[in-house]
Amino acid sequence: MADGRTWRLIYNPEGDTTDVVAYGAAVAEGRIAGKYQLSNTSVPDTLIVQRSTVRGIIAGADVRIDRDLATREGIQLAKAARQGRNSARAVGTIQLSEVMAKGSRAYDAKPVQPEDPAVILYTSGTTGNPKGVTLTNENFLFQRNTIVPSIMEFTESDRTVGVLPLYHVYGLSNGLIPTINAGAGFVMVAQYSPQNLLSAIADTKATIMPAIPSMYQHLLTIARARKTTMPKSLRMCVSGGAPLPLSVLREFMEVFDTQIVEGYGLTETASCVSANGRGGVFKEGSIGPVAAGVEMTIFDDDDQELPIGEVGEIVIRSSTVTPGYWNDSAATTEAINADGWFHTGDLGYRDDDGFFFITDRKKDLIIRGGFNISPREVEEVIMLHSAIQDAAVVAAPDKHDQEMVVAYVVLKEGESLTARDVMDHCVANMAPYKRPKNVVFVDTLPKSATGKVLRTELRGEATDRRLVERSE
Amino acid sequence: MFGRKKAKEAAGSGGAVAVGLGEMLQEITKRYKRKQAIHFENVTYTYQELDENANRVAGGLEALGVRQGDRVAMMLPNIPEFAFTFFGIQKLGGVAVPFNTMYKGREISFILKDSGAKAIVCLSNFANLINEIRDECPDLKEVIVTGQRTLVFVDPDATVNVQLVVEKTNFESADSVFHTVGGVLVDTFQAAGVKDAWYKHMGAVRAHGKKLATILVSEIENLYVVNVVGFLKTMDADPLFRVLWVPPEIKDKAVEPSTSVEEESGTTVTLDAFKDLLVEQFTKKLGVTFDAGELTRDEQLAYEKNRALAGRI
Repeated sequence: MADGRTWRLIYNPEGDTTDVVAYGAAVAEGRIAGKYQLSNTSVPDTLIVQRSTVRGIIAGADVRIDRDLATREGIQLAKAARQGRNSARAVGTIQLSEVMAKGSRAYDAKPVQPEDPAVILYTSGTTGNPKGVTLTNENFLFQRNTIVPSIMEFTESDRTVGVLPLYHVYGLSNGLIPTINAGAGFVMVAQYSPQNLLSAIADTKATIMPAIPSMYQHLLTIARARKTTMPKSLRMCVSGGAPLPLSVLREFMEVFDTQIVEGYGLTETASCVSANGRGGVFKEGSIGPVAAGVEMTIFDDDDQELPIGEVGEIVIRSSTVTPGYWNDSAATTEAINADGWFHTGDLGYRDDDGFFFITDRKKDLIIRGGFNISPREVEEVIMLHSAIQDAAVVAAPDKHDQEMVVAYVVLKEGESLTARDVMDHCVANMAPYKRPKNVVFVDTLPKSATGKVLRTELRGEATDRRLVERSE
Repeated sequence: MFGRKKAKEAAGSGGAVAVGLGEMLQEITKRYKRKQAIHFENVTYTYQELDENANRVAGGLEALGVRQGDRVAMMLPNIPEFAFTFFGIQKLGGVAVPFNTMYKGREISFILKDSGAKAIVCLSNFANLINEIRDECPDLKEVIVTGQRTLVFVDPDATVNVQLVVEKTNFESADSVFHTVGGVLVDTFQAAGVKDAWYKHMGAVRAHGKKLATILVSEIENLYVVNVVGFLKTMDADPLFRVLWVPPEIKDKAVEPSTSVEEESGTTVTLDAFKDLLVEQFTKKLGVTFDAGELTRDEQLAYEKNRALAGRI
C-alpha cells in the first residue's frame, strides 16, 4: 500500500492543452519501461497538477472538430491518447474491438424459436417507469416478410436512408431490418440535421426514406430557400410518428418527385400495421387501411366491436403483436385480452372503405418526435426536488403539430424557485425530449374528489396559454 | 406455440425463410456477399463484412459468458457498430435491448435492472455514466465501449487538470482508487469552501447536484492512470462547442450542469492554493509524502514525442 512512500509532485501552472496529454503519457511510458528494465524505483509514483494557459479541447480520434474555426477562435486542439487493447483503458470497461478480437470471422447463427424474445424495447406508458416491450423472432419475421411488402417494396437495388434512430422500433423495423432482408444498402446518418439528411440522400442517391413529419417539413424548407433542384432519387418515403399535413405531403412528393405513404404502428406491434396512401389512395387524416396479416377494429369499453363510423378504442390482432411486457404480467393482461386483441390506447373509427381515423388518445401520454413520454415519469423526477410539493405535467401544442411538455409546479411553503431551477433539475435527471418546455408555478393543482390530478383542466390551460403567447 | 416451420408458413413464404434475425443476415450474405450493406460517412461495409463483424461480436460476447437468451443492452447512435452489435446478439440467440442514447442515469439504471442485462455496449463517452450506476445493476457484468470519443475542455481561468500515475500496488483494487481519489477530491473541495461537495462511487464529484470534477481511472500494464478535471471557476463552454460536431446526446451529457468552487463558495481559489490543498489531502488519506520534481531525461523525450502526437490532430 501507499503508506509511508514518497511520491513525486509535478506542478505545471503555465502549460497548454497538449501538455495535459503529454505529461501524463510521458510519466506512464517511463513507468512501464521501468517495469521491463527492473529499474522503476528511479521513477516514482507521480501526481501532476496542471493548468492550460490557453482555452483548448482534448479530443479522441472520433470527435469531429472544425480546425480552421478553432484556430480563428483561439482554441488549441490536442489529440487524446487512444484507449484500447494496447493502451490505457478505462477500468471496468472493455473495448468492443477487444471483444470482437475474442470472436472469429465465422460463426453459425444459433437456431432460435419463433416465440423466443429477440429484442426488448422500452417505451413510456402511463405509469411511472417505462415498460419493456418484448418482441419475438416471429414478430420481426411477420413484420419484414408479410407486413412491409404489403406496404412498400424493398429490392436489392434500393438504398435506404437510416436517419431514424435505430433504438426506436420505427427505425429498426421499417428501416434497418427490411433493408438487410432485401439485400439492399443502408445509409446511416448518425446525427439528424436537415442538411445532413439532404447530403446523405444526394450523395448516395438514396431510394427509400422512412422519416417523421418534421424531417419532411425541414427538407421542404431547404428546398424553398435554395430554389435549386432537389435530388430525385427517392422512389418511396414513409412518414410516421405523428400526422403529416396534407399540404406538406403533396409539396414534398412534387419537389422530390416521390411517393409517400403514411404509416401507423406502435412499439407493441413491432412498428407498422396500417398505411395511408398505398397505391396512390390517400384519405386526409386517416392512418389508412390495415396491412396484410393484420386485424384491426374498434372496441367499446367492454371489448365489444363497434360498427363503422363509431368512435372507440383501436385494437389490433396479428403475429406482429408483442406477446407482452417484460417482467410485467399485469400490464400485459391489461393491454392484451384473452382473444389476443391488443389495446392501442388510441381512440378512433373506421369508414366504409376500411380506412381508420384517430380522434384522440385514451391514455395520458405525451408524444414528441415519435417518442412516448409518460407524464407520471416526468412528474416523479420533478418532485425529487426538495423545494417542490406537487407537480403535474401535460401536453401542449408545439411547432409542426408536435406536442411539448408543460409542467405545473406547486412549491413547498416558504420555498422559492425559478423556472430555470426546475429546468436545471430536469436537465440532470432526464432525456431532453421529456423535459418541460414551460414551467408554470401554481398554488394548487386541480384534483378530483379521489385526489387524481385533472389533467384535462390543465391541458386546456396549457393550450390557452400558448395561444396568448403566439399572438404576442 | 408456433414451431419454426409454422412460423415460416405464417410469414407468407414457401421457401427457406430464416426465423431469427441472425439467420436472416447469414442467408442474405450468402446471396449478396460483395454487395454494399452499410454506408456510413465515407466508409462502406459489404454484406460479407457486416456478417463477419456480427460473427466476431457473437463469438466475443460468448467468450465473455453471454449465452442464448441473455439480454445485452445497447446505447449506440446510428453507427456501423450498432449493426455489428445488433446482429451479433441475434446470431448468438441473445436479446438486444437498444435504448435511447439521451437517457440519463436514473432512466438507464431502470432499464438495465428491469431487463437484467448482462452486458451493455455503449459509446466510450457513456462509460462514466454507466459506471456510476453500476452498483444498482447486479446483473450487469460487462461494460463494452466503442469509439475514441474522449472530450475534455480546458480553460485557463476555470479548469485544473490533475493526473496520478501510480504503481497498482499502491491500491487494493481499481475500486479503491475511485474511493481514495473521490474522497481526496471531496475533502479538497470542502477545504476550498465547497461545503456541499460529495462523491458517488465511480462517478463525479458534485455539489448541489452539479458537477464539480470528473474522475477517469484507466489502467495500463502495472499502472493506474487517473485523470481529473476540476472546476475552479465557471466555464463558458459555448465557444468550445462552436468548433465541435457533437451528437446531441454527447453534448447533453458534456453539459450536465456543472458548478465551480467560485460559484459554490463565493470565493476564488488560486491554482497554487488548490494544489496545496490537494497535496495535503493526499498526504492525510494515503500517508504519502511529496517531493516536488520535474520529468527525468527519459521522460522528457517521451514528453516531446507525446506532445508532437497530441498536436497532430
